[in-house]
Amino acid sequence: MKISFKDVKAKYRELFVVEKSPEEKNKPFDAKKAVKDFWYGKPHEERRLGDLYVGNTGLYKHREWRGVKDTMYYFNMIWLYNYAHMVTDIMKYGDGPKGVVEFAKGTMRYRWMGQTYLTVMHWFDRGLEGVRGDALKASAWHYRGMVSETIRQFMRMFEADKKLHGGEENELWKKTIAHNETLSGNIFYGWRDQLDDVALEMIPYFVSVHVNNHTVLNYIDAAQSIGLPADPCPMCQAEYGLFVQDDYPDYSPVMLTSNEACDGSVATSVLQDWFLNRPLYAMPQPMRYDDPLVQEHCQKEIEGAWKFIEEQFGIKMDWDQYVKHAQSFNKLTEFEWEKWDVAANTPYYPITGVAQALYRIYYSQDGDRPIWHEMDAHVKAIMDRTVKNKINCFPKTRHRAIAWSCAPLYYSHWCTWAYNCWGINTIINMDSLMFDQYLRTDTYEHALEDLSWFNEKAPMRAMAVGGHEHILSLFDYMERFHCDMVIMYDQLQCKGMQGIHGVFEDEFRKRNIHAIWIPHALPDKRTVSRAEIRDIINDYMTTVMREEPLDPTLLDFDDSMSW
Amino acid sequence: MKDLVHIFELEDLLQEANNKLVRQGKEDGKRALGYTCYFMPEVLLDLPGCFSVRLRAPRSGSPDMATYYMSNRTCMYGRCLLERALEGGFNFLDAQMATETCTVTCRFQEHLQLMDIIKNPDFFCEFTDVPFKKNENSIDHYEQQLKHHVLDKLSEHFGIDTSDEALLKAIEEHNEICRLITEIGSYRKLDEPTITGWEFSVIQLATLVCPKYLIIDMLGDIAEQLKTRKPDAKKTYRCKVVLAGSEEDDPDFIKLIEECGALVVADRHCYGSLPGREEIVVKDGETPLRAIARHYLDTSECPRFMEQHTMRKRKQYLADIAKEYKADGIIISQMKFCEYWSYERTIDTLILPRDYGYPVCSIEKEYVNNAVGQLRTRFQAFVESIELKNIQKEA
Amino acid sequence: MKAIGKFFFKLVRTIVVIYAVLFAVFYWDLDGKFLYYIWEPLMVKRFDNMKRDDTLKTPYTMKDNVE
Repeated sequence: MKISFKDVKAKYRELFVVEKSPEEKNKPFDAKKAVKDFWYGKPHEERRLGDLYVGNTGLYKHREWRGVKDTMYYFNMIWLYNYAHMVTDIMKYGDGPKGVVEFAKGTMRYRWMGQTYLTVMHWFDRGLEGVRGDALKASAWHYRGMVSETIRQFMRMFEADKKLHGGEENELWKKTIAHNETLSGNIFYGWRDQLDDVALEMIPYFVSVHVNNHTVLNYIDAAQSIGLPADPCPMCQAEYGLFVQDDYPDYSPVMLTSNEACDGSVATSVLQDWFLNRPLYAMPQPMRYDDPLVQEHCQKEIEGAWKFIEEQFGIKMDWDQYVKHAQSFNKLTEFEWEKWDVAANTPYYPITGVAQALYRIYYSQDGDRPIWHEMDAHVKAIMDRTVKNKINCFPKTRHRAIAWSCAPLYYSHWCTWAYNCWGINTIINMDSLMFDQYLRTDTYEHALEDLSWFNEKAPMRAMAVGGHEHILSLFDYMERFHCDMVIMYDQLQCKGMQGIHGVFEDEFRKRNIHAIWIPHALPDKRTVSRAEIRDIINDYMTTVMREEPLDPTLLDFDDSMSW
Repeated sequence: MKDLVHIFELEDLLQEANNKLVRQGKEDGKRALGYTCYFMPEVLLDLPGCFSVRLRAPRSGSPDMATYYMSNRTCMYGRCLLERALEGGFNFLDAQMATETCTVTCRFQEHLQLMDIIKNPDFFCEFTDVPFKKNENSIDHYEQQLKHHVLDKLSEHFGIDTSDEALLKAIEEHNEICRLITEIGSYRKLDEPTITGWEFSVIQLATLVCPKYLIIDMLGDIAEQLKTRKPDAKKTYRCKVVLAGSEEDDPDFIKLIEECGALVVADRHCYGSLPGREEIVVKDGETPLRAIARHYLDTSECPRFMEQHTMRKRKQYLADIAKEYKADGIIISQMKFCEYWSYERTIDTLILPRDYGYPVCSIEKEYVNNAVGQLRTRFQAFVESIELKNIQKEA
Repeated sequence: MKAIGKFFFKLVRTIVVIYAVLFAVFYWDLDGKFLYYIWEPLMVKRFDNMKRDDTLKTPYTMKDNVE
């Protein structure tokens, strides 16, 4: 194939050259403004972030210039810092330099690793687009925490994995507990000094979709290839599609599962059990969880799970370990409440909607780990400063939005776009509000009582089951967080949310609330594309709200093939 | 075969939820108690002074209003029930004894709580939490739930006697129905069954939707007739099948299968009799409520159960039924959008032929069955494949 | 002393060059472009062609009750 100079030039322009708008081309050069823009970055309305994209790839012709200070912060403290720490984390969690070998083996063996996680810096880019100052710093620390914990988990999986070690059951395999990602890590605190617990689908499926949504489509297709219809929740489909494709690491002699959050999750267990074919303990939570009568039953199931682990691993649960981690986790909860307070009552909250949502769901599901405390300390210092100095971190906020129901995993960063394009600032979301429970440790009975409550308020199920009053608590939270707009996620394959759709429509009308429905299919971008989601918001903002976009280049662009 | 006595009368009773016998039950001063799921023990709703009605929405068309409330991406059974309720078709209900056992029926029942749909001043809707396992902890929990959310509510609202004596009497009457249905159903086990799947489904459904004391005599007559009923001289079917799967309360669907040449000899689906019509045994030293709680958890084969051994035994149970009823194959039917059965159907379709040697026809259908032509083709092909296999075996 | 100064100068110069190169990689999103156009297609090819166990052959035998 002959490549001409013209082709090279065209490719260069496609990949690197930002085309100026006709208005900009015709503007006389203003040196003073150019210097100011270089130093401080362009004002929000002049950024033209949509011009930076390379075709439909989501790549940048060049990364955004945010002014000297923020660009250098991004380069040094986010880009360089995270790339460097990824290497050190791999060695730290992989027991020294041999961790790099395990990492390479895992990268070459598992699609969700090799194809997905190396693109992680673009996950930062998407979530932090247009963000400046303290908001940039605080949100980036959230991402850093998630990356580090992801590395810790997949390194443990790879080190213990039979498939990467010639089918051999090594010591780590014998000391790792596998559990469904919807089962909270706090169940296993009593063994944290002797065993390690790693959620089976959290890294291969859930986090991977956020980082790079290309991979998951293989698992969804694999799930349907053995006869499953296309309509069940695609999250559950992907969770067992991993098994159909033989793309799950075999790192534990057992499996613990639960009924969280829905019928699909319960039903997935039947297929996972088949493919795993090892001792499995189901730890279901009661559905009508407000009922005081269900608590004892729930507590006994937790005790059953503990007994199962003791029997399978021959190691007694250590109550002191439980207390230590539960108390430590409470510190994370206390800080979360502090964050909610600042978010609800001030404009000084320095965290983007997407960072808030993902970090919260990740750490509360994962349980107490040192990295979360480290990150919270960074964020606390920043938040204390923004509050003390009254720094409005999102000065272009036109609407304070609450996002309700479960979010599109392939477009969790829609809120960054919505702020940049329309000034819609997502203050809080439904999944952040789950696990809202302090864990008492003064007596065994109190500990068990709170632990059962904690698990009953797990993601999605806290609001979506146990009575319509839970899901309709949206209106109370709206008031509490002083929101004037609802972004209503419409997960097309979630039967629980579809089943109460009309009631919400009625309530929005009755209460005269601006609500934008965002249809999506959780991890599967093929059902509703990101562009379609943006179109829906654009339409609402122009036709109903009659507002002008802050950055018109973000109204319509193609990112269909982006990560 | 000669027509079964009462069969057309029973079929008529299935044409609407508020049927002639329900109205008669209400005129007799009894309370009509609705429910949707096997996990709401009908025996408790059949205590003296009330009677159970397992909700159906016969002759449904397009559930437009319910689709507004629940979207078109939820199980049509749940939507048709809501549509029927919105149309006023369930105004005869004095209470809905609800369970959160599958999402969409739960949402349907929550709508009854949330919106003023049932035009009956006495109406209330009460939820019971149902466990996902069959262990002792679950039985304790279930028993307690049934006491507080069923018995106490019935006593509180309608003054129903919920004493042990009353429960024992209800169990006795319930067992009588079960004995009759089991006897009637047992004729499906014959080499040449003397009852069709359609006939049996009409009878079984009638026992779920009518006051039992008003149909028990009819069941007795049917059982009596079956003792001497002779099969047709020439076989009218080409093979025998088990129908398993999710909610199925449409005898015409069974008729469709049978018109294609497959006699339905066993019904392992919601609203079916396997399980569902086993007698409740009160063990020594056990309270009647405890026996009921244990019975319903023990007998249920719902894919909602999550214990490993229970999940695996379900396939064995289905294979055992197929053997007992001398079936040649199994039809697994799943209501579209039913998540439990989406997965259960998938694994059944793979495991039953592989490990038990039973051919499986795996289908997805809507509550309002408009895809008759497509299904007919599927069933005819399935029957032919079984025949071919039989020929190959003989050869 | 001169040698130390020279070494120090060289070190600083090397660091500056590396830093500048890394900044160029960062600014023009070269890491993203490499991963998108080169790495990911290679990985897709690798994983699409990978031999995998047929998990549908996994046995499905009865298990003991774990209470």
